Amino acid sequence: MKNPELHGVGTVFRYTVQQHYKTPSVVAFLVILFLLAAGSMPLALLMSGHESEVEETKIHTLYLRNECAFSIVTDSVLADERYQALKITETDEDDDTLSEKVLAEADAAAAVISMKDGMLMPSLTLRTVYGENGDVTSADAETLNHLLENALHDSLMASLAITKDQEAIVNSGVTSRVARIADYRAGAEESNTDTHVFVNMFYCYFIMILCGISIGYVFQQCMEEKVSKLVESLLVSVSPTALLTGKLLAVMLFVFSGLAVVGLGFFVSFQLIKPFGGFGFAAPTVENILHFSFADLHFTLPTILLFVVCILIAFAMCAGLSGISGSCCSKTEDTQQASLVSMTFLLTGYLAGAFAPMFESDAVNIFCSLFPVTSVFTALPNYTCGKIGLPLLLLALVIQALTALFLMRTAGRVYKMMLLYRGGVPKPAQIIRMLKENKAAEKAAAGKEAPHAE
Amino acid sequence: MGFSVTELYKKYGEKVVVDHLSFKMDQPGVYALLGTNGAGKTTSIRMILNMLAKDGGTVEWNGGPLTLRTCNVGYLAEERGLYPKNTLMDQLMYFAALRGVSRDEAKKRIRYWAERLDAVEYLYPKQEGKKPVKPKKADQLSKGNQQKIQLMLSLLSDPELLILDEPLSGLDPVNTDLFKGIIHEEIEKGKYLIMSSHQMATIEEFCTDLTILSRSKTVLQGNLADIKKSYGRINLFIKAEQELRDEIEAAGITILSSVGFSYQCRVTGEAQANALLKTLVSREIPLIAFELREPSLHEIFVEKVGETHEES
Repeated sequence: MKNPELHGVGTVFRYTVQQHYKTPSVVAFLVILFLLAAGSMPLALLMSGHESEVEETKIHTLYLRNECAFSIVTDSVLADERYQALKITETDEDDDTLSEKVLAEADAAAAVISMKDGMLMPSLTLRTVYGENGDVTSADAETLNHLLENALHDSLMASLAITKDQEAIVNSGVTSRVARIADYRAGAEESNTDTHVFVNMFYCYFIMILCGISIGYVFQQCMEEKVSKLVESLLVSVSPTALLTGKLLAVMLFVFSGLAVVGLGFFVSFQLIKPFGGFGFAAPTVENILHFSFADLHFTLPTILLFVVCILIAFAMCAGLSGISGSCCSKTEDTQQASLVSMTFLLTGYLAGAFAPMFESDAVNIFCSLFPVTSVFTALPNYTCGKIGLPLLLLALVIQALTALFLMRTAGRVYKMMLLYRGGVPKPAQIIRMLKENKAAEKAAAGKEAPHAE
Repeated sequence: MGFSVTELYKKYGEKVVVDHLSFKMDQPGVYALLGTNGAGKTTSIRMILNMLAKDGGTVEWNGGPLTLRTCNVGYLAEERGLYPKNTLMDQLMYFAALRGVSRDEAKKRIRYWAERLDAVEYLYPKQEGKKPVKPKKADQLSKGNQQKIQLMLSLLSDPELLILDEPLSGLDPVNTDLFKGIIHEEIEKGKYLIMSSHQMATIEEFCTDLTILSRSKTVLQGNLADIKKSYGRINLFIKAEQELRDEIEAAGITILSSVGFSYQCRVTGEAQANALLKTLVSREIPLIAFELREPSLHEIFVEKVGETHEES
């Protein structure tokens, strides 16, 4: 390495990483993180009650009790090759008699269609029941129930004399958007507000978690040598710049390896649910309840690359800021006061990211994308949702990168200056004064010799 | 060849903490940096090692600026510690790697110093039964034993210049002798040593040259033997079996302190002491002790520092 100030970065990095992963609690934490991520989708699938469809049915008799005013056409059920031999018997017997019948026949099931009072309006209910001691499985009943549900829907539409086209129009809703002539002509599509809010919220949570974990690690690393009183012995072997750089690189590895473990967990999780239809169980919920549309997003390979760049810059900014605050701490009790700066950064960014999309204002979106504190949280979601263009996103990234560089350099200077400092957390004005004095002293000394130089 | 500090200067705000300190070592040996608490010793050492920015002055090693790259420095700081939760071996290997010592060489050196400092059991714990042996961590060691590891850290790179700030504080007599033996060995190897201590007897045992600092200023500097010689043999100790106050005062000698029939006196020169001895012998006064000697470093230190306190 040519720069003598950075001599030893690799050694510091390796040692910090080695000691971190030697700690049993860290390994346990990563294992738990992986298991949680890997188990999340199968667990959600189980909780949703979704089961895969059977290839062959054991149900040969279905007792159908229809309590509604319209008749259900079951042709589509019988058209399914698995249920071609199914014998459907309409009945009006009560629940007890019906239950006894199903329990008595190993290959029988019953379906009850009724109108139930809901909170706001009555709703149709379809319930398919099967005997727990017979040949019919839950998945078998689920498959039949799904076919009956489709048949019920079609029968309902037919009873109202609504065609498929009319139904599609009624269900499509209205999408309203505001666009400038230039964007309109360029065909630049914006996503709807709900999608924008959802994407921003999700991204803000992600950045919050990333920065939250980083703050703790950076504080710990900045204080470690001070607390263990090893700093002076260490400084004859390595420059403060190299020491901090090595440590921050190690923190970056801790944080991103944690994210990688979660990512790997989700990958495994998806592989586990893939045979059961993948995301099929969750997508309608997300799209219908949150009015979120995947189709609205500008989600391409470059977006993924931009995402990686964005989170790296977000980490650098957060690490720089935490590095400045952490360097001012001499003991563990100081961290509470010093962490306020980083927490303020996080909260400001999060609130801006979470609430700005609700204003549906271009000015707000542009301001949030370019202002360094909020930019980390909002620039990429704004681009992904079509609220800002690529040039503006690139400008935002340049601003973020410059801010991160400034913060990292300042963190390096403060760390160097405060390594031998003992006392309470200095106020910002005091830090600035000390930095100025230090710089003047370094300039004065530079005329005669260069510290830590060849 | 050699080491020199020229016009080293540091101030915090308006307060000057090191006021134009200069000294040099033309050849290997031990240089003592002495002073009262807050005199500026540690600040000077930190500036010498580039840990603190200098407001003025230069530090040179072999004619060029002293830096991490130009000089292999070993430093046992006054405020010393270890990573409490990391194993001792990991820490030693880490420091060796930072100093550019290869893994194999580091292992050899650690083994050597572990044996020399009687620390083998902490670094190479023996297997007891079938239980796997866990390597020792710093927080499992006593303060004295931690100090052994800290000394090892400063010696691992086989430094050319060794700075020891209060190396013997907090050690029991056995370990004090162990540390002293190692310091003697380093001197014999031809190393440059700078030592700071409040234990004057220790400094006297090792150092050839010294600087005494008081309130950031240099109050005395030079070769210890020459300094002592310049004072002459002016300390007179007399022990008798009877009261001698009248005879001593009659000879114009100042009594500094007395306990029973023992007197600690200050004479102007050997002639004054000889005259008193002649008088006592002629009067046939039985004497247990009559010793004329140079002032100790402790006495010189107290006198010089006391003068600056009176002046201020």
